[in-house]
Amino acid sequence: MTTWTKGPAIRDPLQARLILLLGLWLVAIAAMTLLSPYFWRVSTIPYLLQYVPVLGLLGLGQTLVILAGGPGIDLSVGSVVSLVGVAVGGLFTLGIDIWVACGFGVVLGAALGGVNGLLINVLRIPSLMATLATMFVFGGLALATTAGRPIGGFPPEFAWLGQGHTFGLPNAFVFVLLPVAVALHVMLTRTTIGRHIVACGNDDRAAHLSGLNVVRLRIALYALSGVLAALGSIISMSWFLAARPDAGRGMELLAVTIAVLGGTHIFGGTGGVPGTIAALLIVTTLQIGLQLANISAAWQLGLIGVLLIVSVSRLSVWRRAGGVKS
Amino acid sequence: MASMGDTRPALRFVSPTASRELALIAAIIIVSVIFASASPYFLTVNNLVQTMRAGLELAIISAGMTLVIIMGAIDVSVGGILAVSAIVIGKAYQAGLPVYIVTPAGLMVGTALGAFNGFITAKLKVPPIISTLGSMYIFSAIMFLVIGGAWISGLPGTLSPLINGWVGFVPAAALVIGAVYLLAWVVLRKLSFGSHIYAIGCDEHSARLVGINVDRTKIMTYALLGFLTGLAALLYVARLRNVEINIGTTIALEAIAATILGGTNIRGGVGSLLGTLLGVAFIRIMQNGLVLMGVSSLWETVIIGSLLIVVLTGDALRNRNNARAI
Repeated sequence: MTTWTKGPAIRDPLQARLILLLGLWLVAIAAMTLLSPYFWRVSTIPYLLQYVPVLGLLGLGQTLVILAGGPGIDLSVGSVVSLVGVAVGGLFTLGIDIWVACGFGVVLGAALGGVNGLLINVLRIPSLMATLATMFVFGGLALATTAGRPIGGFPPEFAWLGQGHTFGLPNAFVFVLLPVAVALHVMLTRTTIGRHIVACGNDDRAAHLSGLNVVRLRIALYALSGVLAALGSIISMSWFLAARPDAGRGMELLAVTIAVLGGTHIFGGTGGVPGTIAALLIVTTLQIGLQLANISAAWQLGLIGVLLIVSVSRLSVWRRAGGVKS
Repeated sequence: MASMGDTRPALRFVSPTASRELALIAAIIIVSVIFASASPYFLTVNNLVQTMRAGLELAIISAGMTLVIIMGAIDVSVGGILAVSAIVIGKAYQAGLPVYIVTPAGLMVGTALGAFNGFITAKLKVPPIISTLGSMYIFSAIMFLVIGGAWISGLPGTLSPLINGWVGFVPAAALVIGAVYLLAWVVLRKLSFGSHIYAIGCDEHSARLVGINVDRTKIMTYALLGFLTGLAALLYVARLRNVEINIGTTIALEAIAATILGGTNIRGGVGSLLGTLLGVAFIRIMQNGLVLMGVSSLWETVIIGSLLIVVLTGDALRNRNNARAI
């Protein structure tokens, strides 16, 4: 890590980014409260958390893939959400128990992510192009095998995950996103694997020379991104009690946005879970608030675009100050 | 090709993309024979000219995309530029403005939006994938806010002779495509500006050191892509005589796919306009032929994506020992 000597109080650029993001979140909350009388209520919290898990899981996967460098990116996560949903729905209509089918879905997610990892790390196709191509293939397969029709008819008890609440909070948040986020944060900051990921992102050649298996680590992270996308797909299915073949459309860009907005450097080596979660809260707050205030969702799109550009242009100035060629 | 150990310079110029162009021509002939034997309608003049007209916008945008990718950059926002330009054109027609004012206005909007991308990429040092991702959000926000969920329809087809007309035995659409590719070829191969594009794509740092104004070249190249996209928007409005809400959703990915299929290196520095044109022809012929054979159009994206993976894998295997390709 580069030493940060300019600010006396905050040495870590990630920490500075986190404080900035939390400030932005407060601004967003204040703005939404002014816009809509329905926003500033206790009932908004579970409502907001209902929207968080799917995008959050994708964003966390994206964070890890980008963090490990290469440069890495996974544009296929939205299509993985769609394809896993269609596969689980297909297995269910064949008469397989829904929870068993979900297990197969997670395995399929790992396999799809593994394909990305192999294309990028073994064949050395640039991640942008490889995952763009698999985005076409996975998303196209989901649409073509179902002819664009959603698969429904899931049993009502399957809704426990997506619609149920525990202590007033959505189950998908309490039992999936929260444990996953905590586990990944611990892995990144407290274990050697986390150090290895950051080392790969900072300088993969040095990491390789010091004995790390860079290729295997990165393939595993793409597979993990696929698994998280599969979990997101299951949550989304359980929420709507249907598997839509276009369930993940557009999510890959949002996932990249929250990862990068959260302070993960696009070329790897810097980043973490807390920033991604803060960015996720900002994006979702904008989404919910504008919805409650009945303002066109187009403003949200525009705001996200501006935030994305501003956050990255700022970061590259930081990196140059650190003497790292970008 | 010189044999191993032979370090003498080649006696004649060997185009790095010639083998790809020949392979694409062969592929086009093979699929045409298959489609012609499957459907008697495929090899009619009417069908081939219709296919070319349907590929007009993609061909024009792909020419600009080739320049941008040769420069080592990318633009995923062309769909947004196409949409905003088409909306400005549509609104201008609705306001009763004559075609000689609407045409330059549409071209100027496209150029300005392209220059905006170039400015963010060059001056704010945002990586091209992130900057154009962000601007795509912004452009789609503008589109949704202006269009408000409704189509703009009933527009005059004043420019439609450029698409549907004939000059002797030559369809006007072919002349438009020819003129655009001639322009792009002159820019790329006959002006020093084109050499600067290649130089930046090969090694941006060295290009800066030899005194090339890298930032200006980037902005102008993105502006040229924007200009061509504005032209495509004019022809889109003239062809369909309305502006749909889902305009341009897949054109960026298709243009990138056509460029990569045509032999342009995603890492920059190598590329061919002829290859891109053949790539566009291949994609549109595949789409047309599959529809004639009764295959659902939903399979198109699967096929384009699989083709991309095959081509990228082939490139990767061929360039295994080439240090520059990694």
